[in-house]
Amino acid sequence: MTGHTDAADADAPGTAPPAVSLSGVGKRYERGGEVVRALDDVSLDLPRGSYTAVMGPSGSGKSTLMNLVGCLDTPSAGTVLIDGEDVTELGDDGRARIRGQKVGFVFQTFNLMPRLTARENVALPLVFRGVDRADRLERADELLARVGLADRTDHRPNELSGGQRQRVAIARALANDPAIVLADEPTGNLDAETGRRILGEFERLHEAGTTVLLVSHERHVAEHAERIVHLRDGEIEGIEQIEERRRAAVADAADGAENKPSGVDGDR
Amino acid sequence: MELRESVQLSLRAIREHGLRSALTVVGITIGIAAVITFVTLGASLQAEVVGEVAGDAPPEMQATVGPEGQEGGPPGASTVPAFTERDVEEIRSLPNVGRAIPQGTVQIATLQHGGRSIAWESATATSPGFFADRQFASGGRFEQGTDEVVINEQAASLFDPELEVNDTLVLQSGANSTREATVVGILEDGGGGPFGDISIPQVYVPTDPFYQTTVESPATGERQRVYPTLTVVASDYESVPSVQSDVQAYLRDDSDARSLKPDEYEFSVQTNEELVEQIREVIGTFTGFVAGIAVISLIVGAVGIANIMLVSVTERTREIGIMKAVGARRRDVLQLFLVESVVLGLAGAVLGTAVGLAGGYVATDYLDLSLTFAPEWFAAAVVVGVGVGVLAGLYPAWNAARVDPIEALRRE
Repeated sequence: MTGHTDAADADAPGTAPPAVSLSGVGKRYERGGEVVRALDDVSLDLPRGSYTAVMGPSGSGKSTLMNLVGCLDTPSAGTVLIDGEDVTELGDDGRARIRGQKVGFVFQTFNLMPRLTARENVALPLVFRGVDRADRLERADELLARVGLADRTDHRPNELSGGQRQRVAIARALANDPAIVLADEPTGNLDAETGRRILGEFERLHEAGTTVLLVSHERHVAEHAERIVHLRDGEIEGIEQIEERRRAAVADAADGAENKPSGVDGDR
Repeated sequence: MELRESVQLSLRAIREHGLRSALTVVGITIGIAAVITFVTLGASLQAEVVGEVAGDAPPEMQATVGPEGQEGGPPGASTVPAFTERDVEEIRSLPNVGRAIPQGTVQIATLQHGGRSIAWESATATSPGFFADRQFASGGRFEQGTDEVVINEQAASLFDPELEVNDTLVLQSGANSTREATVVGILEDGGGGPFGDISIPQVYVPTDPFYQTTVESPATGERQRVYPTLTVVASDYESVPSVQSDVQAYLRDDSDARSLKPDEYEFSVQTNEELVEQIREVIGTFTGFVAGIAVISLIVGAVGIANIMLVSVTERTREIGIMKAVGARRRDVLQLFLVESVVLGLAGAVLGTAVGLAGGYVATDYLDLSLTFAPEWFAAAVVVGVGVGVLAGLYPAWNAARVDPIEALRRE
């Protein structure tokens, strides 16, 4: 796992570019002849190994920011660097390549392929990178084990609980060893207890050195991060450092299994 | 993405929507099967109808040598003997040639029988094959190398009593050159082919021994009989045009006749234009009919695939969004959906060919036609089936490739 190398990089921020760097980024589009400013002059660095949350009311530009960082969209102003690479001017296929190599997505609605097994879902990003089937599936098994689903590899999403699905999604997000993992309301569709466990997974990712950007409109979720970026009307209202981070994984860590969730599945 | 991966993912998608995929394949199967059935039926019907149109007339043509521009004139009007025995043999060995029958003229002065003598200009010297399509009132064809003759009813009735089979006829060609021959057959009047009106009195003799016009063959150096007219009979009506051009090519490039004929003379290979034209029309009509059915069937199949693929793309928009989010390029998505539609098209084409063959067999059997296959159409149907899959899948796949992942992922 190169997560540890990332951690090393994070310890020496001067030597490597930030995982994500936005400078003067704006996004406007027309809707019914009216120009909507979704994002305006946003500059933000996500250092390697950092854990950042984005908060804001709906319409504040959270999703737009997410789409830009995730290379799903292009800005109308400013530049976006992912892992040091300028993706501002990239076309559709260029952005697809960046997504495949440097970004891992975790969605509120899981977004797993319904016909594929958990293992195949996790291996999917590697399909588009031309990774050999055997290598892909081996990597997928390894990642599923890491999120505690070693015994669910051949299940399809409809045979898994919500929490299990989200953990498959997390494993999938890690398949490419991404520079950044984007989590868009990852606990939004889960009950409180399951949500807490999922936040625990992110905590473990962070501890292993992965850069995480989490979007939420709930403060208690956002408080799991190191800092919270507050968005309002497409602008950064303020960046708040969290002194006393919420620890979701405390209970799990106390189990003694350092990087594995408890064997008992509390998810529903 | 590797093609193998696309095929696997596509097969899974097809299997997932089993009923829908099956119905699509059934649609294409029916389309292709209809093509194959109608092609088979068409080919068999065509053979039948060509037979009807042609009637008893043999699929024959006449080769002559004459002055430039005489084409279309009555054969033999001003022809010269130029076709050697070797030419006859060579033409006989051309593809789709059934028979090649030489014809020449033997000058005679009188015909004598039972003390009665009739002034006669000439007899036609030919080979026994000449009579293959002709009806005899009595008797039959003569043999080569014998003193036998065949006459028609008109000629027979010139004598009193009428000539009958086994009567002896004396052919006198000069003051002291006579030859006795036995009448072996009497041809029915009016039963001739499209050439040669045989309702005028006619006498036919075998070229051997009666025909004496010879020349040294430029090709072999032997002295051979040389004839002014050749009748070439094709194996069937459909091959008349190709045989015609083959004969023309042989005469022009390789024949003895080309060096024997006077320079200003030209070859003419005449068919029964009217009949050949009619048959060409019949074939054209059938080809058009079959092509029409084929096009309609394939359009139906294509619409089926396109429809199902469009539904499939719409339904799987979210999945496309997921794939794009995890790194699928346009090309990957395009490939995935194209492969799916080609798989459907191919399955339909293969099944359709099998069903169509069975259908053609049953249909021809039911209509009491002899089964005639047109195998080149089968290959075409399969190729077109796959092509239809590609074409019908192209627009939906292109749509899929253009899906905006942001929009797609927002869908519930």
